[in-house]
Amino acid sequence: MKLELGHIDIHDIQFAAESAVKDGVLYVNAEAVKALVLEEENLKGCQLEIARPGESVRITPVKDVIQPRCKVEGPGGVFPGFVSKVDTVGSGKTHSLRGCAVVTAGKIVGFQEGIIDMTGPGADYTPFSKTVNLVMVCEPVDGLKQHDYEAAVRIAGLKVAAYLGELGKDVTPDEVQVFETKTLGESFTEYPGLPRVAYVQMLQSQGLLHDTYVYGVDAKKIIPTLIYPTEGMDGAILSGNCVSACDKNTTYHHQNNPVVADLYAQHGKTLNFVGMVITNENVYLADKERSSNWASKLCEMLSLDGVVVSEEGFGNPDTDLIMNCKKIEGKGIKTVLITDEYAGQDGKSQSLADADALATAVVSGGNANEVIVLPKLDKVIGMLDYVDVIAGGHDGSLREDGTIEAEIQVITGATNELGFNCMSAR
Amino acid sequence: MHFHFIVVTNNPLVRERFEGQVPLDYQPRTFAGILEYVRDQIHKGHRLLSHPLSGSVKPGETPYKSIMISAEQGALDTDSVILIEDCIQHAKKFRDRISGLSERVLDDFQLVDCNLITSAIESALTGH
Repeated sequence: MKLELGHIDIHDIQFAAESAVKDGVLYVNAEAVKALVLEEENLKGCQLEIARPGESVRITPVKDVIQPRCKVEGPGGVFPGFVSKVDTVGSGKTHSLRGCAVVTAGKIVGFQEGIIDMTGPGADYTPFSKTVNLVMVCEPVDGLKQHDYEAAVRIAGLKVAAYLGELGKDVTPDEVQVFETKTLGESFTEYPGLPRVAYVQMLQSQGLLHDTYVYGVDAKKIIPTLIYPTEGMDGAILSGNCVSACDKNTTYHHQNNPVVADLYAQHGKTLNFVGMVITNENVYLADKERSSNWASKLCEMLSLDGVVVSEEGFGNPDTDLIMNCKKIEGKGIKTVLITDEYAGQDGKSQSLADADALATAVVSGGNANEVIVLPKLDKVIGMLDYVDVIAGGHDGSLREDGTIEAEIQVITGATNELGFNCMSAR
Repeated sequence: MHFHFIVVTNNPLVRERFEGQVPLDYQPRTFAGILEYVRDQIHKGHRLLSHPLSGSVKPGETPYKSIMISAEQGALDTDSVILIEDCIQHAKKFRDRISGLSERVLDDFQLVDCNLITSAIESALTGH
């Protein structure tokens, strides 16, 4: 499967009478976008705001971040199973509006979390301080249940991202990248001297507000399966996950998975990137056993030498991570794990809730308990009233002078377990 | 109907939803108290069936916890002992910030915990 991904660089978003992409500016007809959002009968209002890098703006509570994309050639459309039909995507041509994002915000639950600061020390911890963001704060109809609100905002965000992405369909991209994964048979003959490597992506799938969808299917209901890495670039995997801002994978992360990008970059040079396995992180222990059995079995069937495994979330998925590691290593296949840490505010505690001697190669996205003080910013998009209780916040975290003392787990993407951040150790 | 599991919970919403539907052991304890109670049950021969740290809502943040254990008591299951002990240790790292939560927030914490254990119950009812 081969995908040409054309990047159209966007330097600014502006509201205008007509939606268009022109000379690197995304012009947005706010009324058209609102009308699209309000097609969701469970939403009664939508506030649209633009947040630019460097502005004194704080966005909270963030639900999801989505990159506008559209299919230009090839089967299917973006976000299959929700916005488009369930055709297999990931081949042909796709255009992406690079440098901008749709951010959905709103308190789905009382403890809703997620902060994006566009300037200041907090901005260094989130990739979405570097994108020009169209922020949608969606208001539910009265009495709406939380899971219906989550679904409505999720779908509204996807529709808006698809609408904006479509504006780039006839625009000449600034850069085109080509990604290709051959069939299994071809992969054996293509680079016979290089180690066969695959990527096992663990998807958050524990329940309400902890869900991921694959072609519209709730990932907790899947048995681990094979997927071409380019399918994710067209939105085949997307986030319904609202909890744990620092280490949840937003839809944007799935569209721009850096593990996939780096494995493709090494393909044919240091390794043979054979493909990708997706698996889940359920709460029922027998589900974990079954899924890790299947993930390791698929790795064996692919005749692999090495596997990169990425986790999503904290606690419960640590067990899936270690099960995957032990069972894949048990097949004689080397593993590298990507996770993050909850090592206490001083960083001295055990980082994960599970461990094993076979986990000898582990990459950390950072310590989510690290404390940060965020200055008062001039403008808040969304609402701050729940900052005291959002993950990592604590009593007194919203100080009288408007500064926020909190753990970095409040920041969207801060310790991302795909490595989509800038944290490093010295 | 024979159930092979028991749900240990301190969540009033779980009790309301599942009382009379599935075996429940309602224990009005703290989050840490539930973990320790489950550890004691494991020492009596029950096995863990759901992960004690389910959910990305952190210990210290939510007061509610529901955990599924086996109805059957057998020989001591060392995997369960190790997992619950790891979880108890891990949970201690989180500061307690439960005091002063509004009704709305408490209700939402109940709902999320209830939903997580519901997904375990659905798995348990459809197969082992």
